[in-house]
Amino acid sequence: MIISGIQRRNFGRILTSIFLVAGAGGSACRSAPKTDVRISLVDDAGDTVRLAAPARRVVSLIPATTELLFALGQDSVVIGRTSYCDHPAAASAVPDLGDGIKPNIEAVIASRPDLVILYNSGQNAAVASRLRELGVAALRVNTDALSSVPRVARMLGKLTGNERAADSLAAVFDTALASATRPPADPRPRVLLLVWEQPPMTVGRGSFLNELVERAGGENLFADVPASSGVVSIEAVAARNPDLIFTTAEGPSAFATRPEWQVVPAVRGKRFLHVTGSEFNRPSPRSPMAIRELTAKLNGRRP
Amino acid sequence: MSWARFGLLASVVVLCLLVGLSAGAVPLPIGAVWAGLWSADAEASAIIRDLRSPRVVLAFLVGGSLGICGAALQAMIRNPLAEPYLLGLSSGAGLGAVIAIATRGGGAWSVPVAAFIGALCAVALVYRLSLVSGRRLDPHVLLLSGVVVGAFAGALMSAVMVLSDAPGVRNAFLWLLGGFGTASWHALGIFTVYASIPLALLLFHARALDLLALGDEPAHHLGAEVDRLRRMIYLCTALLTAASVATCGIIGFVGLVVPHAVRTVFRPLHRTLLPIVFLVGGCFLVLADVVARTIVRPLELPVGVVTALIGVPLFALLLRKTLV
Repeated sequence: MIISGIQRRNFGRILTSIFLVAGAGGSACRSAPKTDVRISLVDDAGDTVRLAAPARRVVSLIPATTELLFALGQDSVVIGRTSYCDHPAAASAVPDLGDGIKPNIEAVIASRPDLVILYNSGQNAAVASRLRELGVAALRVNTDALSSVPRVARMLGKLTGNERAADSLAAVFDTALASATRPPADPRPRVLLLVWEQPPMTVGRGSFLNELVERAGGENLFADVPASSGVVSIEAVAARNPDLIFTTAEGPSAFATRPEWQVVPAVRGKRFLHVTGSEFNRPSPRSPMAIRELTAKLNGRRP
Repeated sequence: MSWARFGLLASVVVLCLLVGLSAGAVPLPIGAVWAGLWSADAEASAIIRDLRSPRVVLAFLVGGSLGICGAALQAMIRNPLAEPYLLGLSSGAGLGAVIAIATRGGGAWSVPVAAFIGALCAVALVYRLSLVSGRRLDPHVLLLSGVVVGAFAGALMSAVMVLSDAPGVRNAFLWLLGGFGTASWHALGIFTVYASIPLALLLFHARALDLLALGDEPAHHLGAEVDRLRRMIYLCTALLTAASVATCGIIGFVGLVVPHAVRTVFRPLHRTLLPIVFLVGGCFLVLADVVARTIVRPLELPVGVVTALIGVPLFALLLRKTLV
């Protein structure tokens, strides 16, 4: 076996280094002596991210954080992104490192980053620890709620040495969000958030779209579902009788003409609320704008 | 089987269908179900007539068809492990569905139609492969071909899923896991058109299945045209399974275990076995679908998950009873 051959050759070297480290006693640390850690923060996975200096080469493997870095004026710092990073337009000039769901560590390392931003998912735990072993800082964050925008902006500001810009972005965002939020109207239009057609899938109260619709003055038809998404039957939809049906550009398109959907009055009455922009896919500084667009559409089609 | 037993089975079928009609996202009392069935003005009539009735009937027909496919294949291949998805069909259908989603094929029917085509392609390939060894449709070669074609289609499916950037490709898995959430009279009509001929042919050849189950030599000496029969049975089960995959995804377990379960209770000839398996398989899938749509209301579980979760313990119990 080739692999075991390499392992055998390296084995002696590894043994030597273990003895050397052991010999150095308590003062020995695992990696080569580094400059002092000047920046450190605890990420959403509970790990402490340490940097000697503000990050200058950042690989952002979440569309939401790419958007935030550009909003913080860090255009030149972003050296890698996902295939889904479509905003702002300038982000398309940054090298595409894949879908970001299962990062290719080799491609990430090849771009010589000093900070890699990962979504806080189970499988990214192994990716983050591998990156740290290779001497690259990894930040894992949750980006599924409106509240994540100011929080993650502040984290990114701290790690890139732009704390003041991040503070002002966060303050502006909170103000814009508050002014875009509608007080609940009476009666609130009840909206089916249809994110997929075969099988019919909707999102529950733990989702970003649920937040958007509620702040726009509407009510998610399946707000009682705790899961962020789930499969429902047409019957369940018909029984709850939504006022409107919300769809996105990537979502269902053909259901409106299918005979079995005609049981739902909103389908028969063509009461659809269709949005196209990526501001409806993820929390971002554009979210207040998305809420305003939804409010306008809800008011235009109020039953 | 006596007429009394048949009457008992028929009343169980009616009971299952009624349970299927009254349970759901909104539980309806039997009275409301009755009113909804016969009067268009009744409150629940849209739900009963347009959504629940086609759903229950489709689940019954698919369950029955899968059961018959399993029974026929087990007799033909003379292997108790034979089941409708063994012959590479499920992976072929999955590949078709994933390609339809990945290429953003428009239209409401693109996914089911692509699944049907994928399943038929897999069948054709398996069939061709098994003819290689002396044109006899040898059961062992058939099984092997099914496994390798299934593995190949499965690998292609994974490759498409990984490489495609179309949103929702991952939802193809959810579709494949099976469900009747979008059942309609339209889907029921299409399934009936595809299923009626193979179902009739299989029922008509019930005696031939008894012969085939004895082995090639005895079957031949008893006057069966073994090769022709085998080809016919194979193509009928393939068409039937492909039609059911296209209408409601892959629903495992029914075709494998319902025939065995029926055989543990009585050991009839296929002329009696096939109708019983049809009714039992239908009832089983209707009840499994009731569980799938009520247990996590208002969400639904994939019905394939439910058939396995209920069916396996049930079968283990039956098996234990017959062995003891």
